[in-house]
Amino acid sequence: MSTWKDKKTKESPEIPTSSMADIAFLLIVFFMVTSVFSVTRGLEFQLPRQENTNQDQTPEEAVHIHIAPSGSRCIFTVDQQVMALEDINIYLQPKLQRNPNKFVIIDPDPQAPYRCMVDAFDELKQGDVKNISIPTQAEKSAWGDIL
Amino acid sequence: MNIKAPKRAESYIPTASMADIAFLLIVFFMVTMTITVDRTEVSLPTSLKRTEIPKGAAVIAITVDGTIHFSNGEEDSRVINAQDILPSAAFIMSKDSLQYFLIKADGDVEYRYIDQVMEQLRQASVRNIAMLTMQEAG
Repeated sequence: MSTWKDKKTKESPEIPTSSMADIAFLLIVFFMVTSVFSVTRGLEFQLPRQENTNQDQTPEEAVHIHIAPSGSRCIFTVDQQVMALEDINIYLQPKLQRNPNKFVIIDPDPQAPYRCMVDAFDELKQGDVKNISIPTQAEKSAWGDIL
Repeated sequence: MNIKAPKRAESYIPTASMADIAFLLIVFFMVTMTITVDRTEVSLPTSLKRTEIPKGAAVIAITVDGTIHFSNGEEDSRVINAQDILPSAAFIMSKDSLQYFLIKADGDVEYRYIDQVMEQLRQASVRNIAMLTMQEAG
């Protein structure tokens, strides 16, 4: 007589993996939804070294761009002439051909919006201006009234 | 004559490797993902010229009301006073004198806020600065 134990068919042991893909895709979707796209591109520039701040700049010969706020827009005054943003490069090109290392000073009004300064900076970068200087208020007061 | 019909192969889609593929995708996304240290919401100004900024740069975020968030590039950003940028930046510069500083400022913020940040960075002998921008259509 056979025992009850013998009669029972043995189930093969296994780990259920059929839902593994569902779990993994769920994780992917979760990460994609929660991840934030961060901006990693922009405009680079270099601040002057402390020791030679005064030596390598001659503000008298530099092109001076003043940015004044005007409602939501800005007024760009290049060497005492009011001009449109697009005309700055047209004005600068002959000067740059004579002296490719021409200094251009961007001097935004403290109340001017930041984007106007970025617009001017971008415009100069497009015109391949090598030496762009953005003096701070403290630097300008140190320079005196040359601007 | 009795000819047996050939045994038909059972049709099925192999799904055993699906989990492997999905986990591979997860690992790929995790490796390529950059960890954002600053989540301050600002509307960035636009520019036509843009260059890729090295990873791990310190971030100075300035919101439209002039609030400054600072991150050394490793820790999450925190709100700080404008005067505290100088010691923080000087400390970073003492470890790596070529460290990049990102200015992530709202396009509508008044320039005087940027000016005071720049002044602090200048005093801390920072050399490399980058202004984050969005791509300008054009």
